Amino acid sequence: MKQLYSNKWIILSLVAPGILTFVAAILAPICLSVYYSLTDFSGMGSADFIGLENYIALVQDGAFWTALLNSIFLAVGFIVIQHPLAIITAAILDKLQGRAEGVFRCIYFIPNVISVAIIAYLWKFIYNPSFGLLNNILHFFGYQEDVNWLGSGNAIWSVLIVLIWHGFGWGMLIYYTGIKNIDPVLYEAASIDGANARVSFFRITLPLMKPVIQVNVTLAIIAALKQMETVYLLTNGGPGNETQFLANYLYKQAFSSFKYGYGNAISVVFIIICLTATVLLNKAFQEKPIKKEVS
Amino acid sequence: MDIAGKSHNFSKIGKAVKMLCLIAIAVVQIFPLVWLFDFSLASSNELFTKGLLIIPKEIMWDNYAKAFIDGHFLLYLKNSLLINGLAVILVLIISIMASFAITRMTWKLSPLVRNLLLLGMMIPIHATILPNFQIYNKLGITDSIFALLIPYVAFSLPQGVFLTSSFMESIPRELEEAALIDGCNIYRMIAIIITPMMKASIATVSIMTFLNNWNEFMMAMTFLSSKTWKTLPFSVLEFTGEYSSNYAVQFAVMGLTALPAIIIYILLNKHITKGVAAGAIKG
Repeated sequence: MKQLYSNKWIILSLVAPGILTFVAAILAPICLSVYYSLTDFSGMGSADFIGLENYIALVQDGAFWTALLNSIFLAVGFIVIQHPLAIITAAILDKLQGRAEGVFRCIYFIPNVISVAIIAYLWKFIYNPSFGLLNNILHFFGYQEDVNWLGSGNAIWSVLIVLIWHGFGWGMLIYYTGIKNIDPVLYEAASIDGANARVSFFRITLPLMKPVIQVNVTLAIIAALKQMETVYLLTNGGPGNETQFLANYLYKQAFSSFKYGYGNAISVVFIIICLTATVLLNKAFQEKPIKKEVS
Repeated sequence: MDIAGKSHNFSKIGKAVKMLCLIAIAVVQIFPLVWLFDFSLASSNELFTKGLLIIPKEIMWDNYAKAFIDGHFLLYLKNSLLINGLAVILVLIISIMASFAITRMTWKLSPLVRNLLLLGMMIPIHATILPNFQIYNKLGITDSIFALLIPYVAFSLPQGVFLTSSFMESIPRELEEAALIDGCNIYRMIAIIITPMMKASIATVSIMTFLNNWNEFMMAMTFLSSKTWKTLPFSVLEFTGEYSSNYAVQFAVMGLTALPAIIIYILLNKHITKGVAAGAIKG
């Protein structure tokens, strides 16, 4: 039995498909990306080695920094607007009994199952200046001017609104599950002690939800960094580079500007940024529970 | 008495306010979709209204007929189901095998391989599009089903390994030992003893993998050129060019392509909710 469980050939045969997939689809492309990032490859023809030139150009590229700032903007938007809303909604929903609870939960999640392609085009229509829903709502409430939602200055907010709307159900659901896992006895004890709903939300729900909030915040920051599809279809980074994001920018550089080498340099930096962010966030959040246990 | 009455009233108002909040959010979440389906049934020149919704003079089912035929709905739906289904099956098989080796068997490199497989979770999928495009070009597999299957499986695998391996750790070992003593080999034992016990995590992995890849279109757009393997999002992506001025038909194609997911979600609502919750909290 023990011999069987340490048989190298069996182990190899079991993990080989996984490792092969990882190497073929993730590791090899990244290595190739590093190689291309050191060349002036245009996508076709020959590639000449140019050292770190692409990386030097990247650091001096304003659009790159705009893209990073936009990711931070999104992350802050998620954390300040979407998540408080989601957690409060989850707390209210948790206290609701019966059929309504399930119906609301179902409605909130529906946008999430719809493909990003549809969501992006739908919102393009909602923002449309001539027949869009949003301007019609403003007219309905008596505001007469037509707002150009995807124009300069507004565009990044419009992107944020779509993403908050689309991802709301997902965040809500995770908080909702977290709240359901809290022992109801705690709430009963609190209400016997005279605590009202608000007090028990701040004293019981929030502190006990800390690990869930940490997971959700991490996911939000990573999602903000990785943003691509919605922006690609909604604004393609425009106007100018106002709503540019790293993933969209590298795609544009490679396939529209034919700077394939430069696009790969962005890919490499993009990967490094995502890895660093994940590691840092995990570190930042991991230390707290240990401290708590000590105290 | 008086105080009790007051606080009773207060909590009634509180309840009403809370209910109103829930309804308001539900309206915000669902109204754009109601608007979408409403406009999809009108004719194009009715769209330029100042009202919120349109009551179409005549319900234009014809919009949906156009969307269904010119959007290649059936072909793209079939492709989406097939590619996603295959991706789910492959992810399940590969991750259960790997998880067994990682959690049960004794070998020095086990933690290293585990971390390597999980590393994929942190890699942004879009950063691999450029090099993969070159690789698939050289291999001559652009515009084939493999160009989508390989990255879809690879990027769903880390979560699959994570979920199946943490679940496998909770399964008691007695049964498998008994089976092995009876002369069953390891592969058969994984297939007929372990796998049936993993139903919950298999459901979670399937749902997460399906949801992730169902939405994907950047790779499909980059790697595919002919209609043969294009997936459902292309009904919408291609249509905006073809019917660029016929907005009502564009609404119809969006409505039509959104429907399968909405119907499946409403039917499997409970399972999907559970699956997402389990997957997201652990993942």
